[in-house]
Amino acid sequence: MRSFAEYNPIAVTLYFILVTGVTMFVSDPIFTAVSFLGAVLFTLMRGGEGQLKRHIFSLILFFITALVNPLVSHNGVTVLFFINDNPITLEAVIYGCFNALMIVTVLYWFSAFSGIMDSDKLLYVFGAFSPKVALVLSMALRYIPLFSERQKRVRSAQTAVGLYKDGNVPDRVRGGVRVFSIMTTWALEKGIVTADSMSARGYGQGRRSRFTPFRFYFCDFLLIIISVIATAVSVWLTADHKFVFYPALQFPSVTVTNLLGYAAYGTLVLFPVINDLKEEIRWRYLRSKI
Amino acid sequence: MTVIKSKPLREIFKILIPFILIPFSVVIGAIISPERSYLYVSLAVTLLSLLLFISGFDRKQTGTRRMVISAVMTALCVIGRFIPVFKPITAITVITGVYIGGESGFLVGAVSAFISNFFSGQGPWTPFQMLGWGIIGLLSGMLSRPLKKNRWLIVTFGTVMGMLYSFIMDVWTVLWGGGFSAELYLAAIVTAIPHTVIYSVSNMIFLIILAKPFGEKLERIKLKYGI
Amino acid sequence: MEILKVEDLSFCYPGEKEPVLKDISFSVAEGEFLCLSGATGCGKSTLLRLLKKELSPKGDRSGRILISGENIDDLDSAEKIGFVMQSPDEQIVTDTVWHELAFGLENIGMKREKIALRIAEIASYFGMSAWYDKKTSELSGGQKQMLNLAAVMAMSPDILILDEPTSQLDPIAASEFISTVKKLNRELSLTVIITEHRLEEVIPVSDRIMIMKDRGIAHLGSPRDIVSRVGDSPEILASMPSAAQLYHAVDGEGQCPLDVREGKRFIETGFRADHTALTSEKYTHSEEKALEFKQVFFRYAKETQDVLDSLSLTVYSGEAYFILGGNGSGKTTALGAASGLLKPYSGSIRVFEKKLKEYKNNSLYSGCLALLPQEVETLFLSNTVREELIDAYEEAKMLPIDVDTLLDKHPYDLSGGEKQLIALAKVLSQKPRILLLDEPTKGIDAVSKQRLAEVLRLLKKNGITVVAVTHDVDFAAMCADRCAMFFRGRVVAENTVREFFSDNSFYTTPINRMTRGYYSGAVTVSDCVELCRLNGVRDGAAV
Ligand SMILES: Nc1ncnc2c1ncn2[C@@H]1O[C@H](COP(=O)(O)OP(=O)(O)OP(=O)(O)O)[C@@H](O)[C@H]1O
Ligand SMILES: Nc1ncnc2c1ncn2[C@@H]1O[C@H](COP(=O)(O)OP(=O)(O)OP(=O)(O)O)[C@@H](O)[C@H]1O
Ligand SMILES: [Mg+2]
Ligand SMILES: [Mg+2]
Repeated sequence: MRSFAEYNPIAVTLYFILVTGVTMFVSDPIFTAVSFLGAVLFTLMRGGEGQLKRHIFSLILFFITALVNPLVSHNGVTVLFFINDNPITLEAVIYGCFNALMIVTVLYWFSAFSGIMDSDKLLYVFGAFSPKVALVLSMALRYIPLFSERQKRVRSAQTAVGLYKDGNVPDRVRGGVRVFSIMTTWALEKGIVTADSMSARGYGQGRRSRFTPFRFYFCDFLLIIISVIATAVSVWLTADHKFVFYPALQFPSVTVTNLLGYAAYGTLVLFPVINDLKEEIRWRYLRSKI
Repeated sequence: MTVIKSKPLREIFKILIPFILIPFSVVIGAIISPERSYLYVSLAVTLLSLLLFISGFDRKQTGTRRMVISAVMTALCVIGRFIPVFKPITAITVITGVYIGGESGFLVGAVSAFISNFFSGQGPWTPFQMLGWGIIGLLSGMLSRPLKKNRWLIVTFGTVMGMLYSFIMDVWTVLWGGGFSAELYLAAIVTAIPHTVIYSVSNMIFLIILAKPFGEKLERIKLKYGI
Repeated sequence: MEILKVEDLSFCYPGEKEPVLKDISFSVAEGEFLCLSGATGCGKSTLLRLLKKELSPKGDRSGRILISGENIDDLDSAEKIGFVMQSPDEQIVTDTVWHELAFGLENIGMKREKIALRIAEIASYFGMSAWYDKKTSELSGGQKQMLNLAAVMAMSPDILILDEPTSQLDPIAASEFISTVKKLNRELSLTVIITEHRLEEVIPVSDRIMIMKDRGIAHLGSPRDIVSRVGDSPEILASMPSAAQLYHAVDGEGQCPLDVREGKRFIETGFRADHTALTSEKYTHSEEKALEFKQVFFRYAKETQDVLDSLSLTVYSGEAYFILGGNGSGKTTALGAASGLLKPYSGSIRVFEKKLKEYKNNSLYSGCLALLPQEVETLFLSNTVREELIDAYEEAKMLPIDVDTLLDKHPYDLSGGEKQLIALAKVLSQKPRILLLDEPTKGIDAVSKQRLAEVLRLLKKNGITVVAVTHDVDFAAMCADRCAMFFRGRVVAENTVREFFSDNSFYTTPINRMTRGYYSGAVTVSDCVELCRLNGVRDGAAV
């Protein structure tokens, strides 16, 4: 078994699409809450830099989006108070909070996903459906740090032969444009060399195979199957459970069938956390035997 | 896209889907269902048309050099994004489309949108941006012949495209914020005015500065290496 | 068995009046090691690229190229011909070592299991297992070039073409690279065609040498044959191994020596050793310090290692100070720090006894200091050489290059050596008092190098201080007053040029290695010639 990040990237992508898809399109606060819980737990579990910033950002975003809705939408029957003669309704406030939670949750998932998918994995996934996009993407990703580095070098080289001699602002702007221009010429020419090196090694002759370190193991299939089944089951079992926000709030009671549906989604959402916890415990145990 | 045999029809579809079908389905969706189905519809249509475009491109044989040059232009787009406020994606996408062709334009626009969102935040809006910028590149490629004649035509075209892009993205902002309504859309456009103005102006400046030298460089590369 | 045959090949670049190649015919046998040589800009790269269909430049070509009897135009050459280019960086296509090795195999649609086997084999053969998982951007120059070779060899080509593969490598890495190529040639009977400017290592292992001149082939034959034939054409002789140059300079007889071993025997059997050393004038320096590093520490990012590690050195005004050292030892970084482009986090750097900080508003760069960067293309900003040289035409005239024929070309269309010299002209036009040069001789042929050495001497006579970084020990021996050995971010040895090279046993000139233990302090061919003349011929020796 492996940690969630080590699953086959295609399986991970599918999982991710299904989980965020349900969060985005099923308009049900329980789903959103469950998904939120899973996303936050997973983020906490993976740890790493920028965590705190992520949470603070989410909190701020939550409040802003939650506030906007009651201010612009005056649907709903329960008026709380008036601002400039506009009614602020309870329904709008609640819908605002719900919607904001959804946005924040989706963003948590997206950031977790970006954290897992390094460039190799992205290319693997893209390559599976479009070799062309995968190629442009992979080369561009490689070029970005190279070009910024190059830009620095060009600037240095030009400085050292007296480009910014006068040191005033127009000189600097002109210099900046010149540096970008040199960098572009260089980048295009070197791009051609790279392209030549590729075709010299037979690129573009068709019949290309792929050699990747990623494989499909049994647990990858398992993840795919679990994801698809859990999504289908949860959407199906909760289909009759409709939340209504406008004009007045209606929360129908939850049946046992519904509960099963939510549980299925909960399992799906918590899958990464459970998987990684299990791995951690197993690893501790194995290590204790060393 | 490749299922359609007639070439002009295909071209029409290429424009029809993103510019008419998507906004249309979005608005219809909003009217019929106050819930989130329009989100679903719009995202589905966007993803679908992205896939269609890309699979269309994938069947075509493109020279390695052209692909690598597209990657170079993409990287330049993304690097340009680190300059605060000014983002040259539209400008470089338009230039690529005009000088290298619609396919490259599309790839540069779409892939730069995808990559640059890794720096400014991925989200469900990514497919929309990819499609939006992709289409801009594609259109520039289609109009390449008239546009190449005059630098100011390119500048005007690029600026208009940039503004159009902003307005369409505002639709998306509104959708995402909780539900489509004309007032909300207006509000979104109004709040986005400073941003749109800065964006359009910077876009224009970029086009004015970059169109000629980039054009020369790309033409030279084309001549020398026969892309 | 002929594997490659070229018949009446001519080639002209689009928009040029004169063809670069004219009526070239030759053939290469299977398993042969052919070395191609010729002056800068004579069309070597063009010829080699024409041999590889995917890399053929655009232009008018006439004549035929046959690979194993088949016309190159009707052939998929990707698998048959491997090509390694000059610059290590741009040839790398992917971002990890393993993927780079697999890239070509993927392209020919090989099955996954076979790819795994093939790259495991290749990685072991080239001793790359340790860096198999590394990012390609983290490799040193020598490793990158070795990776390029390995990636090409993974496709098991029949012919391997190398265009100045070692011009960016330090002498040790270069010689390792060449011996790997030779090993492939010997063990796999691989046909090798290589061009190089530093022929010292290549000629002894070559089966035949082809020398190009005036758009055609001037000489073609076995190394010994060529070497003994070219005695009367100094421009060709200049690129030959030092032993051969010595042989011709002393009008040797008998078999011409090619490598260090033969050279040593030639000297020791041919000449007496009554005077073992030359009387060299004593090294003196002016009082003024042109450049001074005092315990400078520098690193590129917080979490990386120190690239300059307590670097201290002093260059006196008016001298030529050469820095040698391995790839990635921090030489370029040191020049960057000296020119104020990189800011050390500790230590002080003074230029003409004034701290760098005190040069306000880039005044350092107006008439005081100028740097020729390692990647000279970073200096080019116009569309023609003419515009590049607007302020630098006078300087360009001084250099060993025929500028007038190049004026209307795009700087990126120049050959490697031409670029180098045009860039140097631009730097010289800044009229600096201290000139920093990063690899000034890469891609330049031997004659131009000698002329460049004269230019440097002239500059020195005008009181200009020269600090140069180079992998070219011969050039350093020709021009330097003092040399320094760089290792892991600091100077580990520093001495006047004679003592410096006499103390080193690997990082030294071939002449020094030949005379080791017999004469002392001989580093250049002319040193050795002088010593031989002084001592006279051994009795009964046939010289
Ligand atoms: N694309 C091009 N267009 C026009 N002229 C070119 C082009 N490429 C090279 N040349 C010219 O053709 C000549 C031969 O160039 P080439 O690169 O083959 O020389 P080379 O022998 O490899 O030189 P070096 O030893 O410096 O690498 C040079 O004078 C160069 O200026
Ligand atoms: N811009 C940079 N950012 C980070 N690391 C760098 C940068 N430039 C160089 N380095 C690292 O610093 C070390 C020294 O590099 P430097 O270019 O100074 O070596 P060098 O002695 O000039 O090598 P070469 O002989 O190959 O030119 C290398 O390990 C290199 O990887
Ligand atoms: Mg060359
Ligand atoms: Mg260096």
